[in-house]
Amino acid sequence: MEANAPANPTPQKAAPKASSRTRSERKLGWMLCAPAVLAMLLVTAYPIVYAFILSLQNVDLRFPDENSFAGLSNYVTVLTSDLWWTDLFNTVFLMIVTVSIELVLGMAIALVMHRAIFGRGVVRTSVLIPYGIITVVAAFAWQFAFAPETGFVNNLIGGETDWFGERFTSFVVIILAEVWKTTPFMALLLLAGLVTIDGQLYEAARVDGASAWQRFTRITLPLMKPAILVALLFRTLDAFRVFDSIFIMTRGALDTESVSILGYNQLISRLNLGLGSAVSVLIFVCVFLIALLFVKGLGAKLEEGRPGG
Amino acid sequence: MERSGRDYALWTIAIALVVIFALIPVLWLISISLKPPEALTDQRFIPSEVSFDNYKSLFEGGIDDSPFIKPLINSIGIALITTAISIVLASFCAYAIARLEFPGKRLILAGALAIAMFPPISTVGPLFDMWRTLGLYDTWLGLIIPYLTFSLPLAIYVLVAFFREIPWELEQAAQVDGATPFQAFSKVIVPLAAPGVFTAAILVFIFCWNDFLFAISLTSSDASRTVPAALAFFTGESSFTAPTGSIAAAAVVVTVPIIVFVLIFQRRIVAGLTAGAVKG
Amino acid sequence: MKFSRAMRALICLAASALAAAGLVACGGGSDSSGSRDLTFFVAIQPGGTIEKVSERCSEESNGKYTITPEFLPTDASQQREQLVRRLGAEDSSIDIVGMDVIWTGEFANAGWVEEWTGAQKKQVTEKVFANVIETASFEDKLYAAPFNTNTQLLWYRKDLVKKPPTTWDQMIEEAEGLKEAGSIQVQANRYEGYMVLVNALIESAGTEILSGPEEVDLEQKPTEKALEVIGKLANGGAAPPSLSTSDEDTARLGFEGGESAFMTNYTFAYASAQAEAPEIGKEMGFARFPRVEANEPSKPPLGGFNLAVSAFSENKDVAFEAAACLANDKSQKTAVELDGLPPSRSDLYTDKAVTKAYPGFAQLVKESIEASGPRPTTPAYQDVSLAVQRALHPPDKIDPEDTESIYEELKENVEDAVKREGLL
Repeated sequence: MEANAPANPTPQKAAPKASSRTRSERKLGWMLCAPAVLAMLLVTAYPIVYAFILSLQNVDLRFPDENSFAGLSNYVTVLTSDLWWTDLFNTVFLMIVTVSIELVLGMAIALVMHRAIFGRGVVRTSVLIPYGIITVVAAFAWQFAFAPETGFVNNLIGGETDWFGERFTSFVVIILAEVWKTTPFMALLLLAGLVTIDGQLYEAARVDGASAWQRFTRITLPLMKPAILVALLFRTLDAFRVFDSIFIMTRGALDTESVSILGYNQLISRLNLGLGSAVSVLIFVCVFLIALLFVKGLGAKLEEGRPGG
Repeated sequence: MERSGRDYALWTIAIALVVIFALIPVLWLISISLKPPEALTDQRFIPSEVSFDNYKSLFEGGIDDSPFIKPLINSIGIALITTAISIVLASFCAYAIARLEFPGKRLILAGALAIAMFPPISTVGPLFDMWRTLGLYDTWLGLIIPYLTFSLPLAIYVLVAFFREIPWELEQAAQVDGATPFQAFSKVIVPLAAPGVFTAAILVFIFCWNDFLFAISLTSSDASRTVPAALAFFTGESSFTAPTGSIAAAAVVVTVPIIVFVLIFQRRIVAGLTAGAVKG
Repeated sequence: MKFSRAMRALICLAASALAAAGLVACGGGSDSSGSRDLTFFVAIQPGGTIEKVSERCSEESNGKYTITPEFLPTDASQQREQLVRRLGAEDSSIDIVGMDVIWTGEFANAGWVEEWTGAQKKQVTEKVFANVIETASFEDKLYAAPFNTNTQLLWYRKDLVKKPPTTWDQMIEEAEGLKEAGSIQVQANRYEGYMVLVNALIESAGTEILSGPEEVDLEQKPTEKALEVIGKLANGGAAPPSLSTSDEDTARLGFEGGESAFMTNYTFAYASAQAEAPEIGKEMGFARFPRVEANEPSKPPLGGFNLAVSAFSENKDVAFEAAACLANDKSQKTAVELDGLPPSRSDLYTDKAVTKAYPGFAQLVKESIEASGPRPTTPAYQDVSLAVQRALHPPDKIDPEDTESIYEELKENVEDAVKREGLL
């Protein structure tokens, strides 16, 4: 193709071949991504922009004649409210605790799923069942189990704790329920990461005298980094938006409320769309900051074209 | 490699622990569903008497009137279709991002993440308005589209992470060895991509399966209502009595398709490597 | 976001290409064959009341209209969520709405429901309890046809308690005396049911939460007395183990399980005990909701559903007729027969259907409704309810010895809520 092209009178910075290939690569790239991007934007472009606009207004659905421009006053109301900060603390606390537990537990379970010498199918399938149980039903089952009058837990371990009568014990049950439900997510992603590691690396290391722990920390963990990062990133983002478990178990009583429940109360119960949207936007900002932390701090370089090795 | 009795014993303990951890609440759900209403509060893990009434009531009335059969069909259909489309779209996109150079890559990834991060509750109101105007309200497509939107970010990220790790030179190496481009792709690359693809598929399927918010807001009849939303319509003997038993029974029945789906797919996650592709 | 009719039609045309795949449906309007299609958005009733009355009224209309029930989720706040989303979007597919009594102020103020006037107003309020008419009104205008009401009675164990207590203080003392078997079942989870309890206690004490849609009352002395009752119950031996997460269902389960001597709950509790725990049901006695002040008659809680016509309905004239039929005495009798729902018409309480559903306590139910203290009518009701729950939950945070500080907190919260200020 290039042979028939007219010779360029002036020398160009990039060789013609590279630029044409780059251009077709670019085109291919955009074309391949277009359907996905379209699907994502179609649904969310309007609502997200609308939410931002609403957050700058005083809009209460129950008082349709009183709409007005509010500027940043909704944000001021939220950020100066004790409730917001308590809920934020609860949310961050839950997030850190559940994700840490899930990472360790998920790794252990992934190793069992990967290396079990028998019954692999059984283990892998049963591990994923918690993730597949309908969230509200699972939360309800946990609540039912721990409720002093109907559940078996107090019967089993003795004692008369009113699990949902105190903040700390409520958190324990909430954390248990969340960890149980979403550890499979971690385990699955970590398993897929484990599976891509070449077994020969372990052989070589064993021959060289490396212990199991050394093999784990020097081979397994580094090679699993991409899988770990994706798992952590998405799990953390989801953990920050915890809603169902808390709503079903305590409805946020005893200061166990999360920021999502706060947003729900303003948006749906009070129909104060301005305030509720402001809370939503602030949740988005917090989650965004967390994602930024992951990407910058932990070096999640997901968009490299050519694998570094 | 020699497997000592000790190895088997240790592994049995490990496996047992994992399975117990995973299944105790499920067993509790089964227990609740088998208890007759009077025994609901007997605080026993194992029911003292077993009754299948809750299960019977789920299927009463056949396909048209049962509170459960149509929603189950809706759930399965919508989840399967969404998973199929989502994986295809995400694979294209992830392949492009992992293998090709083009401006806007970072933007797409960041944008996808932003979409996954935005609280869904704020999007439901406007979505409801949009769908009613477009006639998508209470239809399968009306749920498939938002599910696609909110599952694509995760699928794309998972696939990018895995595609990035695939040694693409192997494809060229196979071609040098005499394989056609198609053979190289399907025999070498596809098995390596399998773990990521099937993992993403499981995650997308379960996401659609579990969703409550969109299901309850964008549907109004059995035409498209899925199981989580249908549960909100279950009643006990009076409007104040919680239908605990039947909800538990429904939740149990509804995990069966999940088990089937996962059983099939989890094998594929490891099938690639055991085929010896990497060692070749 | 509202598109004009023309725009809608255009979009519909474009979308009809997809309709061939059966994946999309364009919104329908009214049937052009003369019979109007009315949709009735209401909570599902397990006994089948809604289907039966809709069918009957459609038949009685002689082809003028057909009522199709569209069911809403079982949980009241989810019902409201679905309705509010549609009414806020000015959805024309809703004709008749089954409104919980606490939504009247909100829906009326937002312009979502139509006012009832003239002969139809007279028809649907004839012989209806005055309190119930109040729950269907806002600013002296009627916005819904009363359908069923509900109230709470005091249920007690005849084998453990000789004479039912008349005041809460008495009841708490007796329950504590009974030790193990003597807890009092109420509803005190952080939800609307707790607001019902709090409101009933405050009203029984002689004051009210709001004296107008935007004016806070909460006279100090009576309110503190009401708060003292909650504090005593929660912090004493009469509290059931999971008081702070109790609702109507756990209350009746607790009572049926045998560990309680007293329970305040709706009328369904009787039928439930007879069916689920007959040995307890045999010993079930009933009395009026206990008093807070010994010499002031109690004001029991008031609940129920009223039927409103949507402001965006395209068949308003016919909808009024249909709603009037759906709320009439025949329908109310069906409701009490199939689902045990108390009628809103006071003259039905000597009817066989009612005395059968409430054996021995039909008059007590009637009396309780007549004396009841409804919850405040205000467009900001949800805010007020959230504020009260936030101030007073969990119940054991109320110190019966020092009710002043909690009173201050409650008053402040409610004042902010009525002005719709702050975060809740």
